[in-house]
Amino acid sequence: MAVSRVVVIKASRPWTPAGAADPAVMARMYARGFALLTGEKDDPGAVSSLFGSGDRVGIKVNTIGGKALSTGPDVALPLASFLSRNGLPEKNVFVWDRTTRELRDAGYAVSAGRGGIKVFGTDAPGVGYGSDLVSHLGVGSLYSNIQTEFATASISLAILKDHGLAGVTAGLKNYFGAIHNPNKYHDSRCDPYVAEVFDAPPIRPKHRLTVLDALVVQFHKGPSYHARWAAKFGGLIFSLDPVAADTVGWTIIERLRAGAGLPPLAGEGRAPAYLATAARMGLGRTDPAAIETVEETVS
Amino acid sequence: MRRRAFLRGAAGTGLALGAGLSPARGLTAVLGPGPNLSRVEARYYVKLPDREVECRLCPRFCRLGDKERGYCGVRENIGGTYYTLVYGKVCTLNVDPIEKKPFFHVLPGTSALSLAAAGCNVNCKFCQNWEISQVRPEQIEHFDLPPDEAAAKAKDMGCAAIAYTYTEPTVFFESMYDTAVQAKRRGVRNVVVTGGHINPEPLADLLGVVDAVKVDLKGFTQEFYKDYVRGDLKPVLETIKAVAKSEVWLEIVYLVIPTLNDGLDGIREMAKWVKGEAGDHVPVHFSRFVPMYLVKNLPPTPVSTLDAARDAARGEGLRFVYVGNVPGHEGETTYCPGCGRAAVRRVGYRVEAVKLKRGRCEACGTPIPGIWA
Repeated sequence: MAVSRVVVIKASRPWTPAGAADPAVMARMYARGFALLTGEKDDPGAVSSLFGSGDRVGIKVNTIGGKALSTGPDVALPLASFLSRNGLPEKNVFVWDRTTRELRDAGYAVSAGRGGIKVFGTDAPGVGYGSDLVSHLGVGSLYSNIQTEFATASISLAILKDHGLAGVTAGLKNYFGAIHNPNKYHDSRCDPYVAEVFDAPPIRPKHRLTVLDALVVQFHKGPSYHARWAAKFGGLIFSLDPVAADTVGWTIIERLRAGAGLPPLAGEGRAPAYLATAARMGLGRTDPAAIETVEETVS
Repeated sequence: MRRRAFLRGAAGTGLALGAGLSPARGLTAVLGPGPNLSRVEARYYVKLPDREVECRLCPRFCRLGDKERGYCGVRENIGGTYYTLVYGKVCTLNVDPIEKKPFFHVLPGTSALSLAAAGCNVNCKFCQNWEISQVRPEQIEHFDLPPDEAAAKAKDMGCAAIAYTYTEPTVFFESMYDTAVQAKRRGVRNVVVTGGHINPEPLADLLGVVDAVKVDLKGFTQEFYKDYVRGDLKPVLETIKAVAKSEVWLEIVYLVIPTLNDGLDGIREMAKWVKGEAGDHVPVHFSRFVPMYLVKNLPPTPVSTLDAARDAARGEGLRFVYVGNVPGHEGETTYCPGCGRAAVRRVGYRVEAVKLKRGRCEACGTPIPGIWA
C-alpha cells in the first residue's frame, strides 16, 4: 500500500505588515501544496485531479476562536480563489462554518449573493440542519445542510491547535462544526467521536482534502488563544489522508511544546487518542512509517 | 429550502420569530444567536487562570476555555466569565395537568404552567424530547419569559404550580431558581422534573425554593447510565437521597425499556434501594417506552412488562407504585395502603375522583403522603 503523503508548505514571509496572511504568498503556498500533493504539472491539473468540474466545493473553516485564532478570510479566500482560477466555477465554491456570528467574528464578510465567493453559516436563513437524525456508530446528530445538500465535495480547512479535551484539534475535528450537537461528543477526549463523525455518510464520502492552517499554532492551553503559547509556524499542511494530516499536525504541536519546555500531550493525559481510533477504522494513517512528509518553503 | 433557492438570494432575508408554545419540531428553521440568547452570569462555577472556568453545577464539572460551552450547550465561557445563555428564555410553554409530569401525590387535578429552555446535561439515547433537549439554544426558537413574568402568568392563569420540565431544568438553573422565588411569593408552587444530575450545593439551594421534585431514574446500573444515558448513576442516587431527606416531596419515574432495563432482578434491587434510602412512601412510576431518538429498534414496552415491574416493586414493600403512559390502566390509581380502596382515581391525565380528606383516606382515615392542598 502506498504511503500517505503530507505536504508542509512554509513561507519565509507569510504575513503582511498589518499582520494578515499575504494573499500573494498564500496563492504561492496553495499552488505548491496542490502540486506536491497531486504530482500534477499545472494548477488546473491539480485541481481537476481532486474535483470534477461540476462539483460544488464547500470549504469548512473553523472560526470558533475569533479573529486571533481561526481559519480567517486571509487564508480561506485565497484557497477559494485558487480553486476558481483553476477550473471550478466561482459560484460553486463556498466557505462555511456553523454560525454567521463566528464567521463575522473571525473577520469574514458574510455573503451569499450571486457574485463572488459565498461565505455563510449553517444558521443563515434557509439553510439549517437536516431534519433526519444520522445515527452512525456512537454518534447521533443532525448534519448541516451545507454539508449534506449544498456541497458535493468538501475541504476541511482547519486551524491547527492544542485542545484541552481532545489534545489536538485539526482537520478531522473541524467537522464537529457540521453537526448540531458537538458539545455532546467531547467526553473521553472526543474519542471515538471525532473519528465517528468523520466516518458518517454526510462527511466521509465527500471529503477530498485536508488543509491545516498552521500559520499560527496554539500549542498549549487551546482551543482558546493565548499569545504566550501561540507560535508563528508559518505553514500550511496538505494531505488527501485526513488522519495523516492531523498526525503530522500533532507532531508539530509536540515539537513546539518541547521547545517551550512543556511536557508532551500524553504527559498531561491529552494525547489525541481519536487519531489511533480513526486509523483503526481505516480513515487514514498514523504510523510514521506509512506517512511521507514533504516540506518546502516558498518565498 | 434547498440549495438553489437559498443561493438565489435568501441571504439578508429575516426569519420571523414566532412565539411557539410547543416543542419545536425539526431544526430546519435555525436561528442565529443574538437577541434571543441571554448573557447573564452563571452561578456555581469558579474562574481559573488563563480565562478558563470550571462549572460546578452538575457532576460533569466541565472545564472550559474562552468561547467554549459546557456539555449542556447553554452555558458559555466568554472571556473568562461563565454565562447562562437561556436566562429568562423559554422554548416551550404549556399548561399541563400536573399528572402529566407525572406527579400523582401533588395537588391532583390541578394545572401546572410547564416551561423549558433548550439543553440537557446528559444524552439519553431514548430521549422523548430530544428536539429541544439535545440542541443548542440558538437552534430552536426561544422567547422572553423573565422569572417575574413567568410567575405572574402562572398566577393569572390559575395554575397551582410552575413545572420546570421537558428538558433538563438543571441547565437553566438560574432561571428556574429565580422563577421559583417569584412564584413562591405569589403563592404558586414549584415542581421540578429532572434527571437528577446536579451537584449537592445547587440542589440544596433549589430545595429551599421548590415544593416537589420528580427524578427520572433511568436505570439501576452504572453500565446502563454509561451506555444509554451518557451520565453516571451515583449522583442521581445522591440526588434522590437528598430530596428524600428534605421537606420537598419526591416522586420517581422509571422508564421501562424492553431488553435494556426491564430485568425484574434489577427492578427489585432498585425498589429495595428506594425503600431503604428514600422511604416506602415514595411513589414510583413505571413508565412505558415508545421508540424515539436513537432507540428506534425496540418495540413499545408491553403492558405485561410494566405490570410485572409494578408487582416486583410492590413485592419489595413500596406502597405507591404506578404504571405510566398507558391511559386507562388501573395502575394509574392511588390505592389506600390501609383499606385498599381507590383514593385518587385517574384516567390518563384526568382525575376522576379524589377520595381524600385532609390527606387521609376518606374511607378508613389512613394518611396518604403527598401535597394535597
